[in-house]
Amino acid sequence: MTALKKVKENLFLVIVALAYIAMFIINPVMGTESIKNSGYYIKEMLFIMPVIFVLTALLDMWIPKEKIMRYLGKDAGFKGVFLSFVVGSVSAGPIYAAFPMCLMLRKKGASIRNIIIILSSWAVIKVPMLLNEAKFLGPKFMAIRWVLTVLAILIFSWISAKIIKDEDLPVESPAKAGLHINRDACMGCTICAKAYPELFEMQGKKSVVKAYDKQNLNLENLQRVIGDCPVHAIEYSEE
Amino acid sequence: MDIFTPAIWIATLIFLAISFKKNKTKTKQALKMAFGMGKGMLASILSIIFAIGLILTIMPPMEIADFVGRQSALLATIVAALFGTITLVPAFIAFPLVGTLVDAGVSVVPAVAFLTTLTMVGVVTFPLEKKEFGAKFTAVRNGFSFLFAIIIALVMGVII
Repeated sequence: MTALKKVKENLFLVIVALAYIAMFIINPVMGTESIKNSGYYIKEMLFIMPVIFVLTALLDMWIPKEKIMRYLGKDAGFKGVFLSFVVGSVSAGPIYAAFPMCLMLRKKGASIRNIIIILSSWAVIKVPMLLNEAKFLGPKFMAIRWVLTVLAILIFSWISAKIIKDEDLPVESPAKAGLHINRDACMGCTICAKAYPELFEMQGKKSVVKAYDKQNLNLENLQRVIGDCPVHAIEYSEE
Repeated sequence: MDIFTPAIWIATLIFLAISFKKNKTKTKQALKMAFGMGKGMLASILSIIFAIGLILTIMPPMEIADFVGRQSALLATIVAALFGTITLVPAFIAFPLVGTLVDAGVSVVPAVAFLTTLTMVGVVTFPLEKKEFGAKFTAVRNGFSFLFAIIIALVMGVII
């Protein structure tokens, strides 16, 4: 990888580093102060981040999402709405990881309202995050905000479903044959490259498929890797 | 030390122990996944934290609180909500940050608006969402999220 590419990928990091260098030249006292300020957040992050990631991964693993997904259609009614909240609140990964999953649900017949509920609750009402919010802003604050947010999502998902028609969503292009990685979804966790290094490798922060011979594919291994991908970014269909 | 951090740790460790007893390989997979997610996000999280440290030095929370306090509540709320849409901050940094601001005296309403749009509306993720679900869907969802973020904030201001 060229140096330029590396800079481009970590653009924000580079800008922050340059800002610090400038700060230390202009005003070293404020520079030290900035590092001290950051220290507080780094300490808080180290206390909480490992456990949040582990909790999220465990929830993601043990909630039978495949079973839930069958109940998200237009006629699912209240049950569908409730289950959509559950899927959104317990899933792992940042919001952009929700897009490919919701698209897959859409193909399986989930209603527009339920997709909006999943996307919105995915963003705001993660279970481990609620504990974190209670810690910094108080349990009362957290509880009130949680109730209001759920109400708001219920209301605006209902209105949105009236405005958006099925035809407004892009028509799905038929699945391409072969093996693909959705690069927008991949968050560079390296699980696939470690589990099946003959087929996947890391380029920069994303995983890519190496050149492969169909005869030599270890399908069992491949299916396992597809299932293990935390953001469901790997797709495979036989010709 | 507050009670929440140990509580989350203990709950997670119990969950982990049960999970490990029920299915060893699945649990190992979950741990690997957690580690992978953390590693993938660490660089961007650290740069956001250092950026926040820098910003809070140039604009101390007290001054922000003072400035926000002098504006009309509605204007402050809308501006806070707008700030929340451009930035993309992971929730576990957003909460301590908003906590700092509230402690320094920023009123609850703009703080909540900021917090809600911070996580729910994304200018950064807009192109991605548009590609998958089309312009109308994305505009409607993000538009309503923004509107309701302000409504949530105002209602919270009345309750708290």
